[in-house]
Amino acid sequence: MWQSFASYIPIISSAVPNTLILTFLSFAIATALGISMAFAEVFATKAVSIVVDWIARVLRGIPLIISIFIVFYGLPKVGVVLPSLYAAILGIAIVDAGYQEQIFRGAIKAVSTKQLEAAYSLGLARAEAFLYIVLPQAFRIALPSWINDFTVVLKDTSIAYAIGVVEVFTQAVHVAQVIMDYVWPLIFVSVIYLAICYPLSLLSNYLHSKLKSMGMLGSGM
Amino acid sequence: MRDKLLIVEDLWKFIDGKPILRGVAFEINEGETKVILGPSGAGKSTLLRCINLLVMPDKGKIIFDGEDILGKHDIHSVRSKIGFVFQHFNLFSHMTALENVMFGLIKVKKMSKNEAEKKAKGALAAVGITEELWDKYPAQLSGGQQQRVAIARALAMEPKLILFDEPTSALDPELIWEVLNVMERLAKARMTMIVVTHEIGFAMRVADEVMFLDNGVILEKGAPEQVILNPRNERVKRFMDRMKYVYSIGKGNVY
Repeated sequence: MWQSFASYIPIISSAVPNTLILTFLSFAIATALGISMAFAEVFATKAVSIVVDWIARVLRGIPLIISIFIVFYGLPKVGVVLPSLYAAILGIAIVDAGYQEQIFRGAIKAVSTKQLEAAYSLGLARAEAFLYIVLPQAFRIALPSWINDFTVVLKDTSIAYAIGVVEVFTQAVHVAQVIMDYVWPLIFVSVIYLAICYPLSLLSNYLHSKLKSMGMLGSGM
Repeated sequence: MRDKLLIVEDLWKFIDGKPILRGVAFEINEGETKVILGPSGAGKSTLLRCINLLVMPDKGKIIFDGEDILGKHDIHSVRSKIGFVFQHFNLFSHMTALENVMFGLIKVKKMSKNEAEKKAKGALAAVGITEELWDKYPAQLSGGQQQRVAIARALAMEPKLILFDEPTSALDPELIWEVLNVMERLAKARMTMIVVTHEIGFAMRVADEVMFLDNGVILEKGAPEQVILNPRNERVKRFMDRMKYVYSIGKGNVY
């Protein structure tokens, strides 16, 4: 079985760039949206904050496949026709934005007000205190979860299969259908995901324990 | 009049409709050390926070360095002239000890990096933080070291007044000494300081005047010997009797 599969390895591997494009673009869009929403929630008026919180909840509540289908099959009804690759990127980004909003809002709020008071009592204005104290700390606090979220998005891109995007999972399924064996193609594609996710999860753990030793996670100072 | 650095008149503060400060009034001369004693919830912290405008008073007057600071728009420049030392140190956790002290010098005093570094090292040395600790992060320092870095951070800004909000309450008993020792040296050097603390021994040695605050009102003020050893007010006397019990060694009064 391995022999008949081996010659198809390059076909599956050739889709790795597509998987990475899907991942990076949808993750980047979600980050931009997520940070914007988090800022709005923390710093805008109460009414805006409630609306944004509600939007993020709804986004997190949408099953990924529904989000992708809405973009791919729904948007053409209002005149927006996107190629399947872009539809998948947008569909994934919308839902992930809801999760990233949670990560960044939590991180901003995790920066203790004691840190702000210290900055204020030195004579810093609100904007400066935010720029030099809250942002750098929030960024560090968010980092482990943000990296973890990247690995989640990477694996989620396999759902793009449902609208025919050629990424590694789609290729693996196609190969399986040709050689009439699912075992090797699925093992191989799993190894590809694992090879990317595993180092990242190690990095995330390392950063997490480093932050803990700096007293920036947990109760804080 | 110039030597009156701070004049507080009829200061009121309400939080959630509850009066926290009820007409507090006092003055402090340049070079004086004032100690505020009193039970938890008396409004001691709120009073300190009103003076550097971290909390806005609802009524009253605060005249600092000849200026009515409650009417001022530029509260940041007022704050930069008043040091604040917190109970929980509040060092910036993403900066090293040295960076913590340099930060205000660069961002507020607009010093160059070199200038700030020189100044910060001087301030750290003054509080006994030696070179091997300069590049450590707050979490890598003991509580006593953190608090001394925090004092250096305030000191480096060359404030006219330093406010201490229970600076030793979060410390291990053995580390309290090193912080009080630094504060005592500052007082001897005629730094103007207002210290909220429960350390009556420190108050006895260092304070020019002790004020007893309860329920948002100054019940008694005067020389430390008088307020701590012979209070006139019944409430103050009860408090001091208990403090003396806690801090005495063996039977009877140590004082």
